[in-house]
Amino acid sequence: MGVCQECLVTIDGHPGRRACAVSVSDGMQIQRQAVRSPLQWGAGAYVTPARTVIEEPDVLIIGGGPGGMTAGAIAAELGAEVVVLDDRARPGGQYYKQPAALAQRPPSLVRDRQYADGKRLIERLERAGAHVTPGVEVWGAFADGVIAASNGRTTTLFRPKRLVVATGAYERAVPFPGWTLPGVITTGAAQTLLRAHGVLPGRRILVAGNGPLNLQVALELQRAGAEVVAIAQEATSLSWRAILPASGMLSAAPRLAARGIALLASLRAAGVPVLGARNIVSVERADDGLRVSLRCVAVDRVDHEQTFDVDTVCLGFGFLPNSEILRLLGCRHRYVHKQGALHVERNRELETSVAGVYAIGDCCGLRGAPTALQEGIVAAVSAVASLGLPVPRAARRSLVQARFHLRRHRAFQSALWSLFRAPVRGCEFATATTPVCRCECVTLADVKRAIDDGCSTPADIKRRTRLGMGACQGRYCLPALLVMLQRDGTWRGHEYSVPAPRVPVRPVRLCELRPTTRMQSTTPP
Amino acid sequence: MIAAPDMRFDDIVIGGGITGLCLAWFLGAEGAAVACLDGGSGGGSRANAGSLHVQMQSRLERQFPDRLSAFVSALPIYPQAVDFWSGVAAALDEDIELQLGGGLMVADDEAQLAALAAKCVIERRCGVETSILGRAELLRLAPWLDPQVAGACHCPQEGKVNPLLANAAIRRKAQQNGAVFFDDCLALRIEAEGHAYIVHTDCGRFRGARVVIAAGAGSEHLAKSLGFRLPVRAEALHMNITDAAEPFMHHLVQHADRPITLKQLANGQLLIGGGWPAHNVQQPATPQVGLDSVLGNLDLACRMVPAIRDLRLLRTWAGINPTSDLLSILGGVDSLPGVYAAIPGDAGYTLGPWCARQLVDDMQGRRPDYPLELFTPSRF
Repeated sequence: MGVCQECLVTIDGHPGRRACAVSVSDGMQIQRQAVRSPLQWGAGAYVTPARTVIEEPDVLIIGGGPGGMTAGAIAAELGAEVVVLDDRARPGGQYYKQPAALAQRPPSLVRDRQYADGKRLIERLERAGAHVTPGVEVWGAFADGVIAASNGRTTTLFRPKRLVVATGAYERAVPFPGWTLPGVITTGAAQTLLRAHGVLPGRRILVAGNGPLNLQVALELQRAGAEVVAIAQEATSLSWRAILPASGMLSAAPRLAARGIALLASLRAAGVPVLGARNIVSVERADDGLRVSLRCVAVDRVDHEQTFDVDTVCLGFGFLPNSEILRLLGCRHRYVHKQGALHVERNRELETSVAGVYAIGDCCGLRGAPTALQEGIVAAVSAVASLGLPVPRAARRSLVQARFHLRRHRAFQSALWSLFRAPVRGCEFATATTPVCRCECVTLADVKRAIDDGCSTPADIKRRTRLGMGACQGRYCLPALLVMLQRDGTWRGHEYSVPAPRVPVRPVRLCELRPTTRMQSTTPP
Repeated sequence: MIAAPDMRFDDIVIGGGITGLCLAWFLGAEGAAVACLDGGSGGGSRANAGSLHVQMQSRLERQFPDRLSAFVSALPIYPQAVDFWSGVAAALDEDIELQLGGGLMVADDEAQLAALAAKCVIERRCGVETSILGRAELLRLAPWLDPQVAGACHCPQEGKVNPLLANAAIRRKAQQNGAVFFDDCLALRIEAEGHAYIVHTDCGRFRGARVVIAAGAGSEHLAKSLGFRLPVRAEALHMNITDAAEPFMHHLVQHADRPITLKQLANGQLLIGGGWPAHNVQQPATPQVGLDSVLGNLDLACRMVPAIRDLRLLRTWAGINPTSDLLSILGGVDSLPGVYAAIPGDAGYTLGPWCARQLVDDMQGRRPDYPLELFTPSRF
């Protein structure tokens, strides 16, 4: 959610706001926005702002999810001056998804553990004296260590002594016929609508894709009053009988494993069918909503097709690290073929190849919230120690414990994902006319034509077809393209063969960019 | 494609930017067997913004005061080069969004306007059609400019082209004419062997009777390997693109005193550049943008055209501009028969196709439209 930039509206006269990221409040004036905004002359002169201060906190943390908040709380408790930036209206990140307003919390989630844990962590962070600024998007990171962030009106520049990047992950999109239709959303978006805003995305819902989040969200949707007609998983079989042999999971994290078994039991009790070995074929508009076609790919029942009539399709195909800031700063990455993504390199202290820049949680690869929490401890204690501040014995002990927990979580994760084993998806569900790049309407046929025409690298294909040049800045199409090229064997992924992220990391209005005193004092080129 | 040892061609063009692409096309059309080698790293025409310049850019006078008179002597080639682009567009089978809507160089105050007027006098002597517009006349033509503007220098011959479309279309045209492209094939050095030349690359050896060095900022070390001097520096420049607005800006817009180019693409996006610096880095081999240029370039754009302040910046990037002494480097190398250089001078994308045409005419023993003595690579 928040990636595609297709829901832009004008709010109280300010264009370019994402409807999916702003809560409606009384008296708000909201207008639809034309695809090409008509400009109005005579709005008055543009005045260059007088000055922008460069903030220099001890520790700047980008991302207020489990990892960022833990790191922020601990660094502040240890006496560092800490600033935590988060792009949502309330901190909590994707895991803790705090409600936009308490009254909107759906009754089925009132006693939810993720809410409560998140609320406690936010309170701890604030008690520790960290300066928490939600609603702020980082748009730039530069080689000299300066971070530029906008609150929607102006930009603040930071040159922190230590930087902790905890930007989390976003949901991988997999193109197939119908993936751009209204009503086809990601599983995480459905969860945000429900948890943060108390809204169900639809009434009759099919959940498809792969991974444990799909199961959890399906149950939450069903309990909040939706009818989940089925969960279509790519992995072959999913039952508690399948979980038991994955004994690594039980021994590594018995409580998490038990929660997983309980989840499957609850889904069964709620009457939600979990179908294994199902690939998505298409979603089409039907008379009264959407028609989803699935194909069974189990060895004994190949090509058996099934259709469901629904009003909403939730897709979860896994996550991709939000690594743009780390890449802009020049932190070394390596391409992980199994994930079809770049992962940042870190040392034991979770410091990257750029001194003073730490990376934690899902922006480093996908290991989930419990890992992010423990990494937050490691990075915070290491960063504070490197600043020369005293680190008491208890904090050093927590560092040792965190490393122990991290080893256990790693074992749990590998056992968990052996259950949901499915290849990372590129364009294999797309047909010739499917848009691979939805921003610039570049179809699979366009991409194939460019390849036939001699384009061999993602950058060549981008220049030839405009794939990745739209408002989502390639977040959806480029990963699908990389996986496709990697499968074809014509291209080898490495740090510099994946198109580099560009400033701004998110589209930002020109009037939100503010020149600094430093810049104005130098003579123009 | 991997070259087998010693692939033989008549002509080898080193560099697949706008100049190299056109050379491959024109040489191919002469019936020669042409190979075009390109190192494939991020800079050059791949990153170009597609302005077609005719007026003297304001930064030249500041950056190269001692070179200005030499530059003025080459001024007549700019209108010819833009004319030539029209011919190129007509000869291609696909639309490259060439639009000659004219250019405006905007002055904030009377002093700047006076400087533009002096520039106008020089330009008109060289066949460049520029004229001075006062505030009222300018705002009728461009009502979106800041109303405080003093005036502008107008040049109807200027325009823009979409380099992404143009590069691809010209490459296809070159291939139709028999040129063979070797991408990700970095030329390392050139060696004379009898009456031919061997180009050593990181993917094999190429032998050709004639070699054209059209490698932009990469040309210097290739020339050095043959024992002559070709001083070309790599200058990293910054560019910005916004999301789309309703089409409103048909001119190529510049400033009388500060570096900027502003234009609107056919799809409505605004492309803003004009020579703000970026950083050259070794790894990755693509230049990186800096904060000061993002802020400074766009602040200037918003002050000139206040209505764009609500548009969103989608992307910035940096490209490599090869710079030498402002003049094109074009022609055969005196001491080395069969070795040529083609590195357009200031505003290389504007000049590239025209330069390629002149050089190919020269190589084929025809008299070029324009005497090339001024541009000889043996001048250094």
